[in-house]
Amino acid sequence: MSETREVAVVGGGLTKFGVRPLTWAELAQEAGEVLFRSVPALEASAVDSLFVGAAEPERFAFQSHVAPLVAEQMGLAPHRIVQRTELACASGQSAIRSAYAAIRAGLSDVAVAVGVEKMNLPSMAEANSAMACVLDRPWDAAHGLTAPPFFAMVAQRHMLEHGTTEDQLADVSEKNHRFANSNPTAQFFDKRFDHEKLLRLPMVAPPLRLGDCSSMTDGAGAVVLVAEELVKKYTDTPAWIRGTGQYADFHNLANMESLTDWTGLTRASREAFRTAGVGPKDLDLAELHDCFTISELIEYEAIGLCPKGQGGTFVADGRSDLGGDLVVNPRGGLLGCGHPLGATGIAQAVEVSQQFAHEVDAKRQVPDPEWAMVHNLSGSANVHSVMIYQRGG
Amino acid sequence: MSAFAEVTERKGSRTRKRRVAMEPARAPRAVEPSVSPRERLPYLLDLYPLESPTQTRLAPFFDALREGRFVTTRCRKDGKVLWPPRIVCPACHSGELEWVDLPTTGRIYAFSALLAGAPIGQEAELPLVVGLVELDGSPLRLFGRFLGIDWRECRIGLPVAFEALTLPDGRAYFAFRVKP
Repeated sequence: MSETREVAVVGGGLTKFGVRPLTWAELAQEAGEVLFRSVPALEASAVDSLFVGAAEPERFAFQSHVAPLVAEQMGLAPHRIVQRTELACASGQSAIRSAYAAIRAGLSDVAVAVGVEKMNLPSMAEANSAMACVLDRPWDAAHGLTAPPFFAMVAQRHMLEHGTTEDQLADVSEKNHRFANSNPTAQFFDKRFDHEKLLRLPMVAPPLRLGDCSSMTDGAGAVVLVAEELVKKYTDTPAWIRGTGQYADFHNLANMESLTDWTGLTRASREAFRTAGVGPKDLDLAELHDCFTISELIEYEAIGLCPKGQGGTFVADGRSDLGGDLVVNPRGGLLGCGHPLGATGIAQAVEVSQQFAHEVDAKRQVPDPEWAMVHNLSGSANVHSVMIYQRGG
Repeated sequence: MSAFAEVTERKGSRTRKRRVAMEPARAPRAVEPSVSPRERLPYLLDLYPLESPTQTRLAPFFDALREGRFVTTRCRKDGKVLWPPRIVCPACHSGELEWVDLPTTGRIYAFSALLAGAPIGQEAELPLVVGLVELDGSPLRLFGRFLGIDWRECRIGLPVAFEALTLPDGRAYFAFRVKP
């Protein structure tokens, strides 16, 4: 049995996230531009494998078979593994996980993981249909299930069972929007959302208001992963991938055991902690999937950052902010950055990499971070994907 | 009180037990103007299921809806009542499933309403009130559209009743009518 190799993210970059006047393929070109600018030592000919995280190019851009399209747009000619990874909102992390697995297994040495999503269309009703079919389309979505009413029911039950308040939901949104104000790639980089403003925004799906929901966003990004013996060529501050975990437990809503107790995330994060050899208390920062404010609160609980039911108090007491137990979503989260499905997981990894290298704005720099968690949920929180990174160098 | 009753059916020399709902089945009702696509959408934009026997082995589910009955499948081997209806039991992987009636009443477990951002075909139906229903006497908690209630009046615990719908193109679907 051969020894497995350690794998690190050695750099990456993002396009501007937002409502962008460009096509899906043009986003991929921009991702290439920013990748090669951000990782100067990267030579296109050294990239042996390409993994493209894209949730729904068929729906958003009427384009399948996007891995070779991205290779062409970015000027890559992968000769070992080239594929798309699709896991709805976790498609970007899936690209990174696949690249990690390939390098660890010795099938790749230098892999690029890309995420692209173009969600703002001339017809937003068609874009909403694309989002609806992430769920159980004929049995749930046909009734009118999309993400906002699903997470609204989660919030309603969490409020009923644990006394969580709209104020605490707004605390999540205010924190993440404040961090986004120091992140130029964020969709809401130049938009201020204070507590009072958030509570005045219109309802989208009661009890959730506009500020409780992440946006439909155009964006792309790319990271480079390499085997341990090649790391020094690219960076002095690698982000080592030390642990992973993933869990899928249902699809139709009728088969979700509890709206408010995300046991799938508890299992996925336990596996990630186990493989990394650390625990919740070791984390300095966490990029958690705040597709809705309520998601971040339940994620604190399921990961073990606080006891069940106390997510609202955890954020209200500042324990997930700078100066707290750890910093959650210093990038600005999905709430502040927008959520271009396939690009979100890439953006989280870029944030971890830049936090480790102390390359982010001082207003969101976590002091001397060593351990970071990245989490994505997908669909109706029926899949949870977790990775744990350690700073090297 | 269970909303199921056991009845014994004879088919030739075979007898089998069958669970049926105690509530009388409701006759299909005309679709409310607020439900269903106004026009037939291209299949890849149509959220509703394909129902014909040429497309699905679950066609009997939709036939039952047209008769005002609410049914699902139960595994003959391990007795599991499955939702949505299936052709293979996920627990024991047996393909021997039978159709059983579901309770037609229940109570609201959670709800919300979509006030903006509807999929194509549903834009004119906003606000769209939806929620999870705990079926009486059954462990099933089903998601569905709520009819006959303003979302501001909706409450957890309100009783609801299954209602069969006919889509404009003749397909059958269902929703839950709230009884405040």
